[in-house]
Amino acid sequence: MAKVTREMVERAGVDVDQLLELLVKNAAAELTTYYYYTILRVNLIGLEGEGIKEIAEAARIEDRNHFEALVPRIYELGGKLPEDMKEFHDMSACPPASLPKDPTDIKAMLTVLVEAERCAVRGYTQICNMTAGKDHRTYDLSLAILNEEIQHESWFSEFLGEGPSGHFLRRGETSPFVRKFLE
Amino acid sequence: MQKFTKNELAQYNGKDGAPAFIAYEGKVYDVSHSFLWQDGRHQVLHTAGVDLTASLDQAPHGADLLERCPVIGMLDED
Repeated sequence: MAKVTREMVERAGVDVDQLLELLVKNAAAELTTYYYYTILRVNLIGLEGEGIKEIAEAARIEDRNHFEALVPRIYELGGKLPEDMKEFHDMSACPPASLPKDPTDIKAMLTVLVEAERCAVRGYTQICNMTAGKDHRTYDLSLAILNEEIQHESWFSEFLGEGPSGHFLRRGETSPFVRKFLE
Repeated sequence: MQKFTKNELAQYNGKDGAPAFIAYEGKVYDVSHSFLWQDGRHQVLHTAGVDLTASLDQAPHGADLLERCPVIGMLDED
């Protein structure tokens, strides 16, 4: 634990235990989503599925990066990950992004993907709201993750016919916003 | 439709196997089967068994998400 780091956040008025629980739950959401997206990705096949596979893969890798980026902050603040992986899965801040009953139903697949991203957008918005002006490092990290989750949502939303995303697909490496936390 | 006083609603807090009910704008919703309300807790900050009308104004989502859960009664404001 980084003692003074935690003290500064507490003195700024943040309930650090509450914040840590949120960070661990969102870390669980990232890692479980990475797992479930792996299953979704391999089932994105055929003429329609192949068109979505690339963005699903980018979102999958970036969600894993979000997990990696969250872990150091959890420990800096004096928190820890559960030892039991099953417990970690079940405490996720977002529901499982499970494969639809009919994996050839592309709209159902996209709905699972966009719902997962929307849950993440809500979660990091909440953490940003809690930490803005008080816990600069957690805010910076959460904002970086939020930027990527918003892009993921807009990609899948566009394929669902909800309007243009305004974004191009990733060029070059993944996680343009979160990368600085992965050093 | 069943009416709940605030004291009655408080019994449905999702703990120790109890159902999890919450109130919003006079309606009582059953959130027991929502993954996001396990053990009567929601995103660390909220607990079941209470009227969350004021809290929803601060939440990063609207009332539309509540509509996914069944309305099982009305909150008796008296």
